[in-house]
Amino acid sequence: MNPMLTLIRKDLQLTWRDRSNWLSALSFACISLLIYSFAFDLVATDLKPLLPGVLWTTFLFVGVFASSQSFQREWDSDVLDALMLAPISPTAIYLGKALTNVISLLAIELVLLLLSTMLFDTAFLTAELILVVVIGTIGYISLTTLLSTLGTRARARSMLFPVLALPLLIPLLIAGVRASSAAMDEPIGSAPWILLLTVFAIWSTASGLLLFPLAVKR
Amino acid sequence: MVESTVAIETNGLTKRYSGIEVISAATFSLPKGSKTALIGPNGSGKTTLLGMLSSLITPSAGEATLAGHSLTANSQSFRREIGVLAHRPMIYEELSPFENLQFFARLYEIDEQDSRIEDLLRAVGLWQRRQAPAQILSRGYHQRLALARALLHRPQILLLDEPETGLDPEGIRLLDELVLRAPDITVLAATHLIERASSWSDGVLRLERGRIVEATAKPSKTDAPPKIEAPA
Amino acid sequence: MSATSPDIPEARPSRLQALFTFLLRAVLPVYQRRWVLLPALTGVMMMAMLVGAVLAAPREVVEGDVQRLMYLHVPSATIGTYFSFLITAVASAIFLMSRDIRWDAVARAAATVGVLFTIFTLATGAIWGKPIWGVYWSWDARLTSTLVLLLIYTAYLLARSVAGPNDEQAARYTAIFALVGFLDIPLIHFSVDWWRTLHPQRIIFNTRPAVPNEMLFVLLVAFLAITFLMLWLIALRSDSEQLAQRTDRMRMYLDQRGNN
Repeated sequence: MNPMLTLIRKDLQLTWRDRSNWLSALSFACISLLIYSFAFDLVATDLKPLLPGVLWTTFLFVGVFASSQSFQREWDSDVLDALMLAPISPTAIYLGKALTNVISLLAIELVLLLLSTMLFDTAFLTAELILVVVIGTIGYISLTTLLSTLGTRARARSMLFPVLALPLLIPLLIAGVRASSAAMDEPIGSAPWILLLTVFAIWSTASGLLLFPLAVKR
Repeated sequence: MVESTVAIETNGLTKRYSGIEVISAATFSLPKGSKTALIGPNGSGKTTLLGMLSSLITPSAGEATLAGHSLTANSQSFRREIGVLAHRPMIYEELSPFENLQFFARLYEIDEQDSRIEDLLRAVGLWQRRQAPAQILSRGYHQRLALARALLHRPQILLLDEPETGLDPEGIRLLDELVLRAPDITVLAATHLIERASSWSDGVLRLERGRIVEATAKPSKTDAPPKIEAPA
Repeated sequence: MSATSPDIPEARPSRLQALFTFLLRAVLPVYQRRWVLLPALTGVMMMAMLVGAVLAAPREVVEGDVQRLMYLHVPSATIGTYFSFLITAVASAIFLMSRDIRWDAVARAAATVGVLFTIFTLATGAIWGKPIWGVYWSWDARLTSTLVLLLIYTAYLLARSVAGPNDEQAARYTAIFALVGFLDIPLIHFSVDWWRTLHPQRIIFNTRPAVPNEMLFVLLVAFLAITFLMLWLIALRSDSEQLAQRTDRMRMYLDQRGNN
């Protein structure tokens, strides 16, 4: 079996076994959606222009918190060394981890889209919007997975990680929100947001693939 | 020296961390099937040397050849020949012993995985506990599992870092039987238990402040350093 | 088994290292005199810039005296900010390849100076903006991307400062962050550019009347002054960082000797 599939399978197995982590990420996402509804009174006013922003900030916060833990199991018992000793390339380790994160976060995001469809009476589960969400998720997960090796051993990591990751993700946030608005037929002008989102995804995946081996090599 | 009789050969292996030499120009060669004890006080660089030989730590200078493979090339075939038993067990605590070995067996793409895993788990006395999550097992069982993981892909060379840590007498007997007295495997083991090392080793490398100060083919009691520190 | 004496030849320098040595030799005489040359050049040019900006350059017709801030603002925003961060990225890349911790000190020094210039840019911009635009801050594309840069590089400095000066691992990680951050700049620029220009906004940058030659000349002097100032500050800072690394190393060495 392909080593990358082995890694993904093991990670998904562990994720499933330790559901509490992902369930709390999901609950956090749902709660932030509700918090936004209370804060901005999303039900009463004309909410459509606000919704993409609400969704993407929720995605980013959940994604950043969830993927900052990417290598926690590996660090806890030094398994990363065992992976580095195995006859596989570090790139495979990175890709395996990033794909696991993408799969898990897409699951959370689909639940959120479903929930928003019901809460706000707006069609979110359209093909175009899902495409935007998938590209955007690949874009930010590739970057946060790379960055999650950054602070893993450093003190004050949990505070630092969002501070490091979020400024880099600002282009993605803007592009994601605008592309989602476009998918929801909001008037936002004609800039090629999907293109920018795709370029960001390619850029962050390439950075991850090139720099991850340097990040873990001692 | 004929190539095929040498398992580990290093030439000027050096590691600097921010300008301080942790290992200075280590040059030695170990014949195939030899069992060598790597001794020296805490902080003398034993773990760094083993880390470099296992390709986890990039050397600052120098070169090494293990089982005919160059270290700097760091090829996948090189890593197939090396087994490592480190300080920490390097196993997934959420997975059971069987799942741990199964995962690594897949990574190493070894043949007849299930029977190999069963053999190893029986050999280290974990077969009865193969389904329990590793985190509920004791430290000694973690170490036994780590031993099984290190042997899983039938490496020619085993690098051990204080392998006795956490093992009970039965575990130590297993270690002796499976590794230290196994005829085909070349062993380099960092240890503080010098008395015990004289029973299994046929050679000693002594490190002091990153330099190899002694390399003998057979340790004698009088050679033992005056000061032996307790394992940390 | 044999232990040989440590008379091992060093690994042959790579082509990159050879090129590096060549370049180093070319600039070495200048480099060795940096503690005289840099302060002297900075001082002279800064004086010239001040005289030029305050006295020599004509008063701008529309904006008045506050326009004279431009001579500080424009070079800080371009050379002081972007060039410093370029130095951070290059030094980080060299550190990742050579694993020589001194390059980490250079990268940190350049980032510190870059952050200083970014703050200065934003501050002078705000002072200029209040009388001209009527507001201190506007979500204009250029302002926004400068602000994002400030966020990225303060995060970089924060992340690096929680670890010790010789922490190889932290240095490696933050070097990777610095590279990613630098490569993010074009993306940031495009996104905020499209984000703002496609929204209704006040017209900020009028087409200016042709700039008089005196103004251009003073601006050129200012560019040189800021460049030298930046280089001098980076040199000072990176030297002090390297000294901190050396003291830390000595402390580690003494600790080691004390223990054994």
